[in-house]
Amino acid sequence: MVSLFILAPFAAALILNLLPKALTHRLAFWVAAGLALAQAALVAFHPLLFWSAYPDPLGPFFNLQFSLDGLSLVTLLSIAIVVLATLVAGRYTITEESKRFNFTNLVLITLMGMNAVAMTTDLFSLYVFLEVCAIALFILIALKKDKLALEGAFKYLILSAIATVLMLFSIALFLLLSGGVSFSVIYGALSGSGGGFLAKLAMGLFLCGLFIKAGLAPFHAWLPDAHSSAPSAASVLLSGMVTKIPGAYILMRLVTSVFPLNPQMQNLLMFVGVFSIIIGAQGAFYQHNFKRMLAYSSVSQVGYIVLALGCGTPLAFAGAAFHLFNDAISKTLLFVNACCLEKETGTVDMDKMGGLGQRMPITNFSCLVGAFSAAGLPPLAGFWSKFIIILALMQAGKPVYATVAILASILTLGYALVMQRKIFFGGLADGLQQAKEAGIGLVLLESALALVVIAVGIGFAFMYNNFMLPVGEIVF
Amino acid sequence: MMHKLLLLIFLPFGAGLLALVLPRRLREGMALAAAAADLFIAASLFGKDSACLMPWLGFGIDFSLRVYNFSAFVVFAAAGFAFLVVLYSTSFMRAKPCLGQFYGYVLISLSFVNGALLADNLIVLLFFWEGLLILLFGLIRIGRKEAYPTAIKAFVISGIADLCMMAGIALTWRLAGTLAISKINLSTDGALAGTAFVLLVIGAISKAGAMPFHSWIPDAAEDAPLSFMAFLPASLDKLLGIYFLIRISWDMFKLQEGSFLSIALMSVGALTIVLAVMVALVQKDYKRLLSYHAVSQTGYMIMGIGTCLPAGVIGGIFHMINHATYKSGLFLTAGSVEKQAGTTDLEKLGGLGSRMPVTFICFTVMALSISGCPPFNGFFSKELIYDAALERGLIFYLAAIMGSLLTAVSFLKLGHSAYLGARRSGSADTKEAPAAMLVPMIVTAAACVMLGLGSRFVLERWLAPFLGEAGAWHMPAANIMLIILTIVVLLAALIHHLLRVRATQDALKSADDIYHAPFIRAVYALAEKKYADPYEAGLAAMGLLTRALAWLDRKIDWVYNVAIPGMNNAFCGRLSAVHSGYYAVYIVWALAGSIAAVLFLLK
Repeated sequence: MVSLFILAPFAAALILNLLPKALTHRLAFWVAAGLALAQAALVAFHPLLFWSAYPDPLGPFFNLQFSLDGLSLVTLLSIAIVVLATLVAGRYTITEESKRFNFTNLVLITLMGMNAVAMTTDLFSLYVFLEVCAIALFILIALKKDKLALEGAFKYLILSAIATVLMLFSIALFLLLSGGVSFSVIYGALSGSGGGFLAKLAMGLFLCGLFIKAGLAPFHAWLPDAHSSAPSAASVLLSGMVTKIPGAYILMRLVTSVFPLNPQMQNLLMFVGVFSIIIGAQGAFYQHNFKRMLAYSSVSQVGYIVLALGCGTPLAFAGAAFHLFNDAISKTLLFVNACCLEKETGTVDMDKMGGLGQRMPITNFSCLVGAFSAAGLPPLAGFWSKFIIILALMQAGKPVYATVAILASILTLGYALVMQRKIFFGGLADGLQQAKEAGIGLVLLESALALVVIAVGIGFAFMYNNFMLPVGEIVF
Repeated sequence: MMHKLLLLIFLPFGAGLLALVLPRRLREGMALAAAAADLFIAASLFGKDSACLMPWLGFGIDFSLRVYNFSAFVVFAAAGFAFLVVLYSTSFMRAKPCLGQFYGYVLISLSFVNGALLADNLIVLLFFWEGLLILLFGLIRIGRKEAYPTAIKAFVISGIADLCMMAGIALTWRLAGTLAISKINLSTDGALAGTAFVLLVIGAISKAGAMPFHSWIPDAAEDAPLSFMAFLPASLDKLLGIYFLIRISWDMFKLQEGSFLSIALMSVGALTIVLAVMVALVQKDYKRLLSYHAVSQTGYMIMGIGTCLPAGVIGGIFHMINHATYKSGLFLTAGSVEKQAGTTDLEKLGGLGSRMPVTFICFTVMALSISGCPPFNGFFSKELIYDAALERGLIFYLAAIMGSLLTAVSFLKLGHSAYLGARRSGSADTKEAPAAMLVPMIVTAAACVMLGLGSRFVLERWLAPFLGEAGAWHMPAANIMLIILTIVVLLAALIHHLLRVRATQDALKSADDIYHAPFIRAVYALAEKKYADPYEAGLAAMGLLTRALAWLDRKIDWVYNVAIPGMNNAFCGRLSAVHSGYYAVYIVWALAGSIAAVLFLLK
């Protein structure tokens, strides 16, 4: 049953490319969007029991084991929403029809890869599906095929290759140590031996691979270049979900079911998290390019998730899962705003924008909501997850990290306001007299996302009790 | 009985609220009726003993009221003065602005004073005591446009003193373990108990208007409506402050004779007597002069209570009631002068005696009282205090008698320049004040005479039982030496006055030789530089503090507006610069980071 989440996008991508192009070019968007919508609906309205009640046909056939728990459900829901947003953004911003078709196919493949990562139970298939996503993304980033796009894709490719090497080497070591690659086998072997030199080496290498993929400082340098050169719609996917899968989901999965957290690893995670928070926030301050700023912001927000994971208490895990969802939504929203702005003004340079608030009031408002949620202003969604993370840090006796987390929120608010002022406030900049709201599809999308942010913020208790708390419980 | 205690609080309070909203015509009658009702209830409680307890805030904070002979007597006195002032105001305040507020505040003040007098729980006491602060502010504020700074001054000074009292109450609560005033029985030994006592005394004597908490009173005399002066600083504040002082030093704490605190209290009293009367001597305004005497006379009461001798304490209580009588009466004469002659500036007044004979006679009686001239009431209370002071130390007696001398001199000057001599300016058609104003003056003047003539009865029957076990006190045989000395001093003042008037041909300048006396001149110089006014000194100190804080504020602002953004920008700039775009650099970062992370884990 659960393997449908993998098979369906794969089958869709295959069929769309086999059928005549005249038909599929028009159909592709609807098929992909339908799949994402179905996934969101299925996950949101069916409890965990439903998914474990039916046997999985794919498992015996491919010798793969998939399973679902609360964490996977949150991830699948986030994936579905982000992919849907990506598809809509792509439909309205990519004008060339064949490119748009390719874009949709690549998104479908990424969807398959991410879904598989969120459900797999062994380290090797996790690696494989992560690479599936990565390869689809290389192409997505390079979709414009100009010099900058190729450069951005190339940087991602190179650094991703390093990550690949590190992770493969690590998997080999795990295989050596435990004689298997499934989570439970490795877990059993490590808890038996207690974790010798090789085990620690393997853990360290795998973590570093994930850090690169997640774009955590100091492994983040590819991220701003990739974002600024990719089509905005691809940035939505990249920042909204692709960096969060390794940065949040896989890390969470690893430290709970593969190798348990030890104090040293906690310190490493918290340090990397805080370092990313600071470097990301500081880097965002100096940017003139809207998308680069958002990319740095992404680094900073993933840092919060990793910081919470390093803290290691159930409350912190719940906070991390919540922040994963919230930041996925608000980053998606902000990049959709970027789509609108780029479409209307033809630039992403904030110095050339100004006074757009009067021309694009909905974009203005939704951007404000997204930025404030990222900065953690109550009562928006981002406030609650940051609050829970900080609370967990205080409870776990890490006041220094908690303080840094709070202070960095001020930095976030700082650059969010700078961004808002440069783009939307003040008098209308020269050459923008023609700017208007960017079409009904994008406007609806950004309003819907802004509403989700507000609704989750106001009804946070519902989200927290139904999705986040189970995460904390399952993990322990 | 219980209802009466509550009624004493809620009746004036409700009437006060009504006065704020009622139309002008109904208001005065209603206020007068409320004051009369209050007087009636107070009279019915006279000499009674009863209590009323209701749960309030928990933690030992009950709404607990108690009336016994002493508080019943003070409540009755307060009701009497309130009634006279309201009656007087119906005529005096007519055509003044903010009349609704005036009656409202006066009646609510009366309610709060009753509450504070009846309270048997320190928190209840504090509640009413602090509530008076707001009304004090309001009453001064409605005086005239320039009254705001004075109202603020009064508020700040009283507020600081009340803060001390609050701390004292907290300490007392901790020491005694209870808030019920009638159950507290502490000694002043020990640093903590001593501190609590001093803090409570600060609250009490500042309400009574002793130095150094007096400086708002003379300012208020000029700015606030005159009825207010007769109402609060002259009578009700004194009653309340001295009442509480006696409760502190006689009931709650046992102040020991000859202890340091006793001597300190007497010294405060002595300094207040001498310094305030010296300042009063040189005043050239009727009301301002009176207000300094209101401060000075407080010194006698405090000194009397500070002696810890039954004679002194009873003398203090008697002086409290006497002073409230003649001082509020004197303020009322000032009011009728102001209303009829249009000014209280002594340089412009003169010869009013023939124009306003009733006012003049009342003034004369009360001036003789305040100077301590037999057989008026002031004489008897002062004699008791002299007696007790002499027993504790010659210096205190000298200060007290010196105060009397200067009081007499300054009232000779005041009476002479206002009522006798040639009329300086103003119209010839100055008439006697209307009846509603005359009646209160006559009543107070008559009370001065009655209290003087019936002093033995009042002292032995009414006041002595207040002291509990010492209730069997009897008026001592008259100390002939002291009486002769008093009379000599008064005669000296008269002779001095006559000589000086002959020398200067101006009654107003009759006291100037004292002003110019060698040592005293220096004291005045200090006073004129406002060294004697802690409020002004506090303001100056505050100015320094404010400047220091402003400097600090700028520095903090610099940190926020310059330093942190500067550092941020510098750091961001560096960060931006190192993101050079060379992928080789990025690879080095990633590899270096990986090596560091793995090494850290392997460590």
